Amino acid sequence: MGERSVKVWAWIAAAHDGDAPVTIATLCRTAVLRLGVDGASVTAVSGLVAREPVFASDEVSARLEEFQFTTGEGPGADDFWFGSPMLIPELDSVTVRWPGFVSAAVEASARAVFSFPLQAGAIQVGVLSLYRARPGPLGAEELADALVFADIALQLLLDVSSGLVESPDYQPLDGVPGAQAEVHQATGMISVQLDVSLEEAFVRLRAHAFANGAALGDVAGDVVRRRLRFGPGSAPGSGR
Amino acid sequence: MAASVDERLAQTFVELADTLVAGFDLMEFLHTLTERCVELLDVDAAGLLLADGRGALRLVAASTEQARVAELFQIQNDEGPCVDCFRSGQAVIIGDISAGDVATRWPRFGPAALEMGFAGVHAIPMRLRDQVIGTLNLFRRAPRGLDQHVARAARALVDVATIGILQERAIRQQELVATQLQAALHSRVMIEQAKGVLAERHQVTPDEAFLILRRYARNHNRPLTALAGDVIQGTADISPGSQATTRPAPHDEPENSPGPEATSGPHS
Repeated sequence: MGERSVKVWAWIAAAHDGDAPVTIATLCRTAVLRLGVDGASVTAVSGLVAREPVFASDEVSARLEEFQFTTGEGPGADDFWFGSPMLIPELDSVTVRWPGFVSAAVEASARAVFSFPLQAGAIQVGVLSLYRARPGPLGAEELADALVFADIALQLLLDVSSGLVESPDYQPLDGVPGAQAEVHQATGMISVQLDVSLEEAFVRLRAHAFANGAALGDVAGDVVRRRLRFGPGSAPGSGR
Repeated sequence: MAASVDERLAQTFVELADTLVAGFDLMEFLHTLTERCVELLDVDAAGLLLADGRGALRLVAASTEQARVAELFQIQNDEGPCVDCFRSGQAVIIGDISAGDVATRWPRFGPAALEMGFAGVHAIPMRLRDQVIGTLNLFRRAPRGLDQHVARAARALVDVATIGILQERAIRQQELVATQLQAALHSRVMIEQAKGVLAERHQVTPDEAFLILRRYARNHNRPLTALAGDVIQGTADISPGSQATTRPAPHDEPENSPGPEATSGPHS
């Protein structure tokens, strides 16, 4: 895991109540504190249609997410999955494309919006959205940090669904992008072995690594080299 | 010798320029580019690495999918010619990695490269104005540096790669650079996932799966990333015996893989 990931995770860990599991709420509040923005929100996405707000740090963020959800218009909305963030430092630039969204944003006093897909390849679980009242781009450092916040948010969303976040020594950094190609290959293989979605396969891979105290990359290597196989009917945390 | 490199280079540019217009498939383009690097620069392996926006370099395309060579590109996280090149913005040309203080300079990468049989190791920066967005990494078995003509050809090919990724004339802002780099990295992850799916379905190695994927993409005129998406969705029907119109180059032949084995329990 890179220095930047360690730094961002330390920020998030410092911001949460020691005993409770780290939450998306903590992540969003930390993002607001550290990225020079005024609000942050995470929305979970399932398939093309189902969207579920997970957390919004403030009223404006909540309103922007609500607007995008109901109209399908805006950087975090349906036609968003191009594999890259949507960075809008000046709302003027997208008035023609998203007229309704721009007027809703201006009315809510948001003049810059940055949306980050929470995804790993074909696994797409949500969106991290940041807004700022003052227009202007994210600084280079802030952008790099925001990408890491998105990586961690992706892991958190997956690990909440599998219950991994409850574990006392939980930290989501193993397997954030920068991960070896084998992690993604293993995910593909496991999805066929178990006849499940890539997302489910990734969750199972992570759960197995965590349960066995093994590094994600090592477990992925075993799967790719066919030393470890995930069979149908096996419980989460076991490889058989 | 120099003239023939120039002629072949010109041919390559025409070929690559054709792909930059309608129906542009970035991943196919970058893979072809790395293959041309191997032919034109007289090296044995070429890999394109991009900055991931978080401080690391990630492999997006290579002239070979052999896992061990891919790993040699990828282990250069903290040290290696690519890291040095990326940080300094200058080309790193090492004619013979077993000579001099290379082992001290790169204590992990140096021995790993030697073990793979590579003596010549080079990294060329991919630049956009003052920014280095990635590196072209070249490996050569024979110990030899890059002569002037070859180095010039390498820089030209690197510039073509940069244009392909960034559509340079349209790029004015940092935001667009960042998002296009993320899009390229995203495409690579999708291809890795599809490799895994195909590897398991057809009981082949991921490197073999990539060859199958790429052959199918070419034969059916389908962009690699879109095809990867179809494979993942289960909407592409690819059989390993699909007719190929091109033979894989020798360096594309997959390494031997062990057959599927029964596991004896969770790995610990």
